[in-house]
Amino acid sequence: MMGAKDRLLPPSIPYRFFVAAVAFHLLAWVLLLVGNDGALGFVGGQGMVLAALHLITLGTLAMTAMGAAIQLLPVATRRPLGPVWAIKLMFILYAPGVALFAAGLAHSLAWAQHGGATLCVAGLALFGGLVGANLRKVDDLPGVTRHAWLAVVSLAGLAILGLALVVDFTKGFLPDHMSAAAAHAVLAGYGFMGMLALGFSYVLIPMFVLGPAVPDAVGRRTALLSGLGLLLGAGGALAGQGLVAALGIVLGLAASVVYLRGMGTSLKKRMKKRLEPFFRMVWIAWAVLPLSLLAGLAPALGAPLDPWGSLWGFLLVFGWLLSFVTAILQRIMPFLASMHSSALGGKPALLSHLSPKLPVDIHLGCHGAALVLISVAFMGGWVWPLRLGLLAGLTGAIAFGVYTVEVLRRYRSHMAAAAAAHQQG
Amino acid sequence: MNTQTGALLHQAHMTTIEALQSLDELLGNNKKAPAHDDLLGRKLKQLARILKSEVESHFGFEENHLFKVFVEQGETGIVTMLTHEHRSILPLALQVADLAVAAAETGFTDASWSEFKDAGAELVEREIFHIQKEEMGLLAAISAMVDPETDADLAETYRREVG
Repeated sequence: MMGAKDRLLPPSIPYRFFVAAVAFHLLAWVLLLVGNDGALGFVGGQGMVLAALHLITLGTLAMTAMGAAIQLLPVATRRPLGPVWAIKLMFILYAPGVALFAAGLAHSLAWAQHGGATLCVAGLALFGGLVGANLRKVDDLPGVTRHAWLAVVSLAGLAILGLALVVDFTKGFLPDHMSAAAAHAVLAGYGFMGMLALGFSYVLIPMFVLGPAVPDAVGRRTALLSGLGLLLGAGGALAGQGLVAALGIVLGLAASVVYLRGMGTSLKKRMKKRLEPFFRMVWIAWAVLPLSLLAGLAPALGAPLDPWGSLWGFLLVFGWLLSFVTAILQRIMPFLASMHSSALGGKPALLSHLSPKLPVDIHLGCHGAALVLISVAFMGGWVWPLRLGLLAGLTGAIAFGVYTVEVLRRYRSHMAAAAAAHQQG
Repeated sequence: MNTQTGALLHQAHMTTIEALQSLDELLGNNKKAPAHDDLLGRKLKQLARILKSEVESHFGFEENHLFKVFVEQGETGIVTMLTHEHRSILPLALQVADLAVAAAETGFTDASWSEFKDAGAELVEREIFHIQKEEMGLLAAISAMVDPETDADLAETYRREVG
């Protein structure tokens, strides 16, 4: 990749984000199991479920996005992102912020919520500033940059609404807490994370499958449709105007169809016939993206939040985004390790040697089972499918943690052998 | 592909990927040495020819001509990384090509099949990972950094030296 070696960060920088993301992923499923009484019919309010939800959104999804973006954005845009100390500071603010905020939500501690939210927003603001400064210098990658700009704007919106929601827990100043929470969710899920996912897809997926680049026109179209969809979706939710929000969802559906068709065309024309294992999670994510939007139509048009709001949130966060993010994590952790592995000379480590297969197979099966069982539990109001689904989710998260540890262990082992060979001559 | 050089490199990559996938299928379909016949012999000869062309002529063009243009513009990172990968792929590809040529006439023994299989599997993985980086990074870099006149000269050199 152009300038990649010049712009590769020291491995400890992106990996601290990835390891934290995997740890929060595991912790989130533990909290969901502990607080499973509140999961059925969850439509908001403090407690274990809201804490677990934010461990996934802030702790896993945004954490991965930050770790991936700091490494991939400068390579994709061919412009540096910012000083390493700023990236380290971002992590120092953000990771403890997530933990403190989740603890505050779980135990209804206002000071922890306020302190944690402030640290999180400070870390995210630093991230948004670095990404925005990088994007201002780029004019030749419209497919990536337009989505990244939408992500940055959504980030500002979700942070303002998020802070307002936290303060509202104690002050109660918002006219409609639920509407603000719905707008916050739209901007966080489809805006910040969704737009980063689309933008990076246009770079990463063709590279991994050796497919042709997605035409700029497709990227422009999805950015336009998404931007309008986000404006109407979040605006409609905030104002309590269901029909406006529903129109935003329809535009979001149109954007997702254009995006999926663009990806499909690249896949059809790919040079590499056999898709790698991580792609199984990508298929799940892509299948659930439009499903989540369809599920969101129901509450927007007046269907009860229990179960439709819960189902929408679950499919958005755990179905579309968590599947996509863990797929990308599964692929880029060994990818980056392999790129770093020739630093001491000798052959770069093979991806197949860095990536154990069994843990990701277990994760795939358990994650898929969790998605089905928990969705069924929400629809039927049944406790047992929920508990089984949560157990499956936790097992999958443990397997994914094992995968991460093993990738890092194998990388270190390769480097130790390379260092020994280097010393010998 | 909006440069002549990029288009030529892309075409060569497609040919190499096709050969690598055919090699991957051959390795995947045969736990033990496959029976020798004319079809296998022709396949192995073709594989050897493509691999040698990729690692000798194609890599040679990149290192002797294209990378120099990047170094002149201060882009040493990509050159260092890709050259380093060439160094690990080249001996492996020549080993696989030599084994393929030898087996094309008389077939594989258990020992030569085992050697061919190990080296072939490693080659498939390394070369595809390398082509992924060149397709997304190098070809984009040519578009961004090589002016049309230099592009035309490089393409002419490629046609003359690689074919």
